[in-house]
Amino acid sequence: MLEVKNLGVAYGDVRAVWDISFHVNVGEIVVLIGPNGAGKTSTLRSIAGLQPIVAGQVDYLNKPIHQPKLFTHAHELVSQGIVLVHEGRRLFGSMSVSENLELGAFSPQARKVKNRTLTQVFEMFPRLAERKDQRANTMSGGEQQMLAIGRAMMGLPKLLILDEPSLGLAPLVVKLIFDVIRELNQQGMTILLVEQNAKRALALASRAYVIEQGRIAGTGTGAALLNDPNVQHSYLGGVL
Amino acid sequence: MNKYRMILVVLLAAVLALLPMLLRRDDLINLAFMVLLYICLGQSWNMLSGFAGQTNLGHSAFFGIGALVTRWLWATLELPVMLAMILGGLAAAAFAMVIGVPTFRLRGAYFAIGMLALGEMMHAVIAQVLPFNDTLPVQLIAGYSLAMRYYVALILTIIILGFSTWLLRKPISLGLFAVREDEDAARASGVNPLYHKLFALALSSFFGGVTGGLYAYHQVSYYPQSVFGGNWTLDALLITYIGGLGTVIGPVVGSLFFVALRELFSSIFASFNLVVFGALFIVIVLAFPGGLVELLRKFQRGR
Repeated sequence: MLEVKNLGVAYGDVRAVWDISFHVNVGEIVVLIGPNGAGKTSTLRSIAGLQPIVAGQVDYLNKPIHQPKLFTHAHELVSQGIVLVHEGRRLFGSMSVSENLELGAFSPQARKVKNRTLTQVFEMFPRLAERKDQRANTMSGGEQQMLAIGRAMMGLPKLLILDEPSLGLAPLVVKLIFDVIRELNQQGMTILLVEQNAKRALALASRAYVIEQGRIAGTGTGAALLNDPNVQHSYLGGVL
Repeated sequence: MNKYRMILVVLLAAVLALLPMLLRRDDLINLAFMVLLYICLGQSWNMLSGFAGQTNLGHSAFFGIGALVTRWLWATLELPVMLAMILGGLAAAAFAMVIGVPTFRLRGAYFAIGMLALGEMMHAVIAQVLPFNDTLPVQLIAGYSLAMRYYVALILTIIILGFSTWLLRKPISLGLFAVREDEDAARASGVNPLYHKLFALALSSFFGGVTGGLYAYHQVSYYPQSVFGGNWTLDALLITYIGGLGTVIGPVVGSLFFVALRELFSSIFASFNLVVFGALFIVIVLAFPGGLVELLRKFQRGR
């Protein structure tokens, strides 16, 4: 579904991603783990069409979407089914929950079935239905993350990209968010996930990649990486 | 409640329609005209800077182009004034579209500064190219009616406020708000920021230009450079912020307040109003970012 080949991303003269290649098959949950500053967020932002790339190529549904001289912007990719949930949620803070959700369904196809998707979002997150008239930035962190995922669902993603969805959340809420990710995947959504909470993420992953200093440092099934001594040492807090 | 509201609206419309007959004094009719002019000015600025969040410090360029084009079409070529105003607005919008694509490569404060430079550049150029006072031809002065100016202003105000209300009910306004809140997040929701910004700029510059045309229709004589003065941008900004940024009613409240206070202070000593507005602006931005409209709503809820 998604094929990333020798991706390079730079901010001016500063290279954030040197050479990253990986792929995501339809129906998978693929997880990227790695230390801070490894280039995980840059990789996701480039795939989603928010950051131009300087090297390599990204294919989506067997068609190139990004090359150094061809760049598809995020607002065009949304209607093709690539939707990003930003790190730190990035809600429209002074707007209501309903307005945020409506904005998620901004592309024409999504707007047509807006009401049906909204029912699904409210089924998954009853909390959002209770708070639909509340201003987004007056809600708790967990509720805001629910809204961020709900807003992404409104765009009818085929490939849902999540950047650190558990960041700064209480353990119970983290569990809820991971349950939601699993459920969305079981409903047929393909998922690309970046997580600090490597243990939970690897337990969920079909496959995972380790990124270090802008390069791929390892790969395997989620279970294999969970048991890998190096990964355990670096990302899972030593011996389990 | 609804019936009560209807009666209120009808009453207000009647008072506004009969105002020149009720006031009977040219200075008061002129004040009413100024309130309407500043409502239009504030609301046109608000469309880009309030709804779409792109603070524009070069609005005077649109106002000035609209004024010059309207004046030329109406006073020299003798077109009907309403048509001349619309064409003046279109000229301002055409200019805006040409400069919009490059200036929107700048974000936030850089966009504001870029537009400020552009506005001041236009001011300097016009001062050089058209240095002489522009007075209406004799036959137009002979037929001058202040009440006519008031009615044209009233019609324009109703159109601008009606249009803004309608706009805020359309899905595209959600896109504008999204761009204002967070451009990257807007993009990731499928909103094309450049398209939305250009849309807001087109509306803002068009109505800004028409408002400039209204002013050109009102002035018996003026220096062409005066309609490009930075005061038109600054007044629009003050009125909108003091009234309530990003709301339809904000510029109405702001304009009433602005004209009343300016009138009050001008009799005490000249330009003191600017000191008051400056101080007020700081207080409002710090304490009540929603402006007087927010303050009034708080009082209502408090009761």
